[in-house]
Amino acid sequence: MEDNIISEEEAAQYDRQIRLWGLDAQKRLRGSRVLLVGLRGLGAEVAKNLILAGVKGLTLLDHEQVTEESRRAQFLIPVDADGQNQAQASLERAQLLNPMVEVKADTDAVESKPDDFFFQFDAVCLTRCSKDLMVRVDQLCASRNIKVFCGDVYGYHGYMFSDLGQEHHYVEEKPKVVKGSNEANDGPEAKKPKVDPNETTMVKKTISFSSLKEALEVDWTNEKAKSSLKRTPTDYFLLQVLLKFRTDKGRDPQPDSFAEDSQLLLQIRDDVLETMGLSSELLPNTFVSYCFSEMAPVCAVVGGVLGQEIVKALSQRDAPHRNFFFFDGLKGSGVVDYFGSK
Amino acid sequence: LAFVLRSLSSCRVLVVGAGGIGCELLKNLVLTGFKNIEVIDLDTIDVSNLNRQFLFQKKHVGKSKAQVAKESVLRFCPSANITAYHDSIMNPDYNVEFFRNFQLVMNALDNRAARNHVNRMCLAADIPLIESGTAGYLGQVTVIKKGQTECYECQPKPTQKTFPGCTIRNTPSEPIHCIVWAKYLYNQLFGEEDADQEVSPDTADPEAAWNPADAAARATASNKDGDIKRVSTKEWARSTGYDPVKLFNKLFKDDIMYLLTMDKLWKKRKAPLPLDWTEIHHLGACGTGLKDQQVLGVQGYAQLFHRSVETLRSQLIEKGEGAELVWDKDDPPAMDFVTAAANLRMNVFSMNMKSRFDVKSMAGNIIPAIATTNAVIAGLIVLEALKTLNSEFDQCRTIFLNKQPNPRKKLLVPCALDPPNPSCYVCASKPEVTVKLNVHKTIVQALQDKILKEKFGMVAPDVQIEDGKGTILISSEEGETEANNNKFLSDFGIRNGSRLQVDDFLQDYTLLVNLIHSEELEKDVEFEVVGDAPDKAPTPSVPEEGKNIANGNKDSAQPSTSSKAAEDDDVLIVDSDEEPSSSTMEASPESSNRKRKHHGTDTDDAASKRKRLDQQPADDDEDIIALD
Repeated sequence: MEDNIISEEEAAQYDRQIRLWGLDAQKRLRGSRVLLVGLRGLGAEVAKNLILAGVKGLTLLDHEQVTEESRRAQFLIPVDADGQNQAQASLERAQLLNPMVEVKADTDAVESKPDDFFFQFDAVCLTRCSKDLMVRVDQLCASRNIKVFCGDVYGYHGYMFSDLGQEHHYVEEKPKVVKGSNEANDGPEAKKPKVDPNETTMVKKTISFSSLKEALEVDWTNEKAKSSLKRTPTDYFLLQVLLKFRTDKGRDPQPDSFAEDSQLLLQIRDDVLETMGLSSELLPNTFVSYCFSEMAPVCAVVGGVLGQEIVKALSQRDAPHRNFFFFDGLKGSGVVDYFGSK
Repeated sequence: LAFVLRSLSSCRVLVVGAGGIGCELLKNLVLTGFKNIEVIDLDTIDVSNLNRQFLFQKKHVGKSKAQVAKESVLRFCPSANITAYHDSIMNPDYNVEFFRNFQLVMNALDNRAARNHVNRMCLAADIPLIESGTAGYLGQVTVIKKGQTECYECQPKPTQKTFPGCTIRNTPSEPIHCIVWAKYLYNQLFGEEDADQEVSPDTADPEAAWNPADAAARATASNKDGDIKRVSTKEWARSTGYDPVKLFNKLFKDDIMYLLTMDKLWKKRKAPLPLDWTEIHHLGACGTGLKDQQVLGVQGYAQLFHRSVETLRSQLIEKGEGAELVWDKDDPPAMDFVTAAANLRMNVFSMNMKSRFDVKSMAGNIIPAIATTNAVIAGLIVLEALKTLNSEFDQCRTIFLNKQPNPRKKLLVPCALDPPNPSCYVCASKPEVTVKLNVHKTIVQALQDKILKEKFGMVAPDVQIEDGKGTILISSEEGETEANNNKFLSDFGIRNGSRLQVDDFLQDYTLLVNLIHSEELEKDVEFEVVGDAPDKAPTPSVPEEGKNIANGNKDSAQPSTSSKAAEDDDVLIVDSDEEPSSSTMEASPESSNRKRKHHGTDTDDAASKRKRLDQQPADDDEDIIALD
C-alpha cells in the first residue's frame, strides 16, 4: 500500500500537511484508493478534500444526471453540463484540483455493482445511499479491512458514520516528558520537568468499530439504553427517520413537495420511534422545517470532518472519531457518539 | 430559510483574505446564494498553498490570489458579481466609507495587525464582522458587533514572545534560540543591521558577573567600547572578504572561547564546545529520502555554511554597493545559511541538531495547514453570517473546532458571545491606556513604531501632547514631524504623568495614552502596558485546549519563537502566519512570531469555559453556557 518515494514536487505541494501529520502518513495516503459514491454537495466536498490530501486514486461514482438544482449544489460541475452524468461532469474539475491523483468517473448505479467491485479500494465513502445498500457494503468491506464511511446532509443537519473494522491500528504522536534535574538550586539553569517540544514519541493503538447494522439497530427498550437516552443526540433518531423516508420514497425530502413530505416525515417519525419503544416527543415537530435540501455550508462542515476521518483512517494516524459525527447547523454543535456493539 | 436566501442576492459582503479560509469561504458564499462579493488579498500564489487553497492550480503560481480566486469562482457561478482587489486592506483607500458599502465583513486573515485594523474599521462603520482562524486541526469562528459583543481587541492577546538578548547571544538552551541567532546573523552579515539583533557575546550579561557592581561596570564599559566588537559584524566580515572559513572560526570558535571565559555562566550549565574548521573531517554528507528531512552531521552543516556564505556573498556583490539582502524562507541560500549556522551553534551548545525541514518550520513560522479544517471553519462562517444578516445576534456564537471531542462529546463547541469589555482600549467610549517607559531613553520613533503601531495596532497615528499647548509630537503626514523622530520624549517636556492624545483618522480611533516614567524596566524591555497580561514563555507543559483567535505572527520584528507544536497543543488559533516571501506586496518582511502556546488570561477563560461545560449536569442539553 505504501509507496516509499515521495518526489520533491510532492514534498513542495504537500509541505504544509506533511508538517502536520508527517511523512509516513502522507506516504500511506499516497498509496490509497478510495471509492466515493454520490456527487452532490457533500460528495463534492469530500472529493475535494481527498484529492487535495493526495490519495493515490479516487473513483467518483454516481448514476444520476445533472439537473439545474444538482449543479447549483456543488462547485465541480460546469454550467453547461445539464443532462450529463453527474460523476462524469465533475471529473475534469476534480482532476484539476490535484493532477497527482488518479481521478476516475463511474456512471453505474452503486446498487448494480458486484461485491468484488468494492474490494479494489482501501476505503469506501457512501453518500445519498439507501440504508440497505450501506448495510450491505459495510458488511462486505469491513471484514476485508476496507474502511467504510457514510454521510449525508439534510438541510441544516448532517452526519457521518465510520466502520474501521474490528481492529483498526493507528499511531498517536505524544510529546516526550523530560525529567528535570535534581539540583536543589533554582535559577535559570535549573531544569524543570517539562515536555520537550522538540522530542515526540509515537504511541501505537488499536480500536474496534461496530457494524452499521448494529449501530442502527440499537435496542432502546432495556434499562441501560433508556438511562443513556438523555445524553444521546436526537440527531441519531432524526437520521433513522430520514433514512426510512429515503427507503420509502426513493428520494430525500424536497422543497417542491414540502407539505406532502413534511406530513410523511412526521408520520415516519411516529412509526420509527414507536418501533423503538420511544416517545415521539424525542423528536419535536420543528425538525421538518430544517431538513430539506443540502445546505452548502453544512456540506462544507460535514464534508470537512468526513474527509479528515478518511484521511486519518488511511494514514493510520491519530484517533478516529468513533463512530458517528452529528452536525446541527442551527446550533453550530458537532458531536461524536458511539452506537452499536460494545 | 427561503426568505433569508432570497434576500441574500441583494447583500454586499467583503471577504478579507483569499487564502486557506478565503477560498473555502468564497465557494460557500456563492453556493449559498450570495451574489455581491468583494475580496481583497495582497498575496500571490505559492506552490505550498496548493494543498488547500483549491481555487488555485499550479499554473497560477505567482499570480494574485484575489484575482485568481475570483476567476475560479466565476467558472462555477458565472452570475456572481465578484470584485477582486490585489491590495492590502490597510491601504487608506479602504476607509470607513468603503466599509459602509457592505452589510457584512468576513475576515480570512493570517496576521494580527490586519485583524486589529479591520476590527476598528468595522467598529467605526458599525458593520458586523465575522472573525475566524485555523491552525492545523484547530479552528475558531466568532461574531463581532459593535455595542453588542466583544470586539476583537476587548481581551488582551498575548504578544509575540521574545527571548532576552543574553539567551540568544550567550546561553542558548533550545534550538529556537540558535535559529533566532542565525537569523540575526544573516541580517548582521547580509541584510539590514539592527541594534536589537546582536550576535556577538554579550559582556554586559548580568548573569556573567560575579557581583552586581561588576555587571554595571561591564555594561558601561561595553556601551563605550561597542561590546566585544569595535567594528560591526558586517564591517568585520567585509574586511575578510566574507571568507567562510574565517567567519566560521570567529563565530563557532573564537566567540565561543570568549564565552567560556565568562565562567560564571557555565557553573551550572554545560559549557559550549568550540569548533575548529580544520578539525572537521569534511566528508560528503549523503542519505536517501527527502533531502530536507535529513539531519546532517557537523561536517555537513559546516559545508553548507561554507557554500551558503559564498552564494550570499555573490548575491551581495551582484546587487552592488550598499546592498542589503532580505531574509526569505523560500530563498534557498538564505534558508541554507540559517539551517547551517543554527545547527552549528546547536552542536556547539550540545543540542540535537535539526533537519532543514524542522529549521524552516521554526525560522519561517510555518503553521501546518490542511484543507479540511479550513473547510469546516468556512462552513461555520457562512452559518453565522446568515444569522448575522437576519440580526439574530442572540443566536450567534463563538464556535471552537477541536481535534478530538471533549468529555461532553463535542467536536464543535458553540459558546455564547461575550458583551463588550467596558475598559477595552479600542471599543470603549473614551479608550484610555497607561504605558510605563523611560522618558529619557525612549525616542519618538520608538513610540510611533513599537508602541503605537506594533502594540496598539495603529496604522497612521497622529500624536498630540496634552500640555495645554497641543504640541504635535507625531504627524501622520509624511515628513512633517520627521525631525522629531530621534529626539527623546523628555526633550518635549514629557515626564511622569504626561498624557498623549493619539488619533488614527483612518481607523476613526482616538486613544488617550497616560505615561508613567520608570527607570526600572527589565533589560531588553522598552515599555510596559499597565494592566497587560505578562508575556509568558511558550512552556509546552500539560497542553490544554485553550482557544483564542490569536493572530499575530507577521507582526513583530522578532523571528519565530515557537518550536514545532504537537497536535494536542494548547493552541491559539493563529493565522497561518508565515513570513511573507519577497514576492508578496508587503515589502517589509516582518519576521513572524508564531505564538502557538500561551497561558494568559484568554486561555484561562477558555479553559474555565470548558470546565463549566464539563460540569454541566448530564441532562442539561443547553449548548449555550451562560457566563456571568
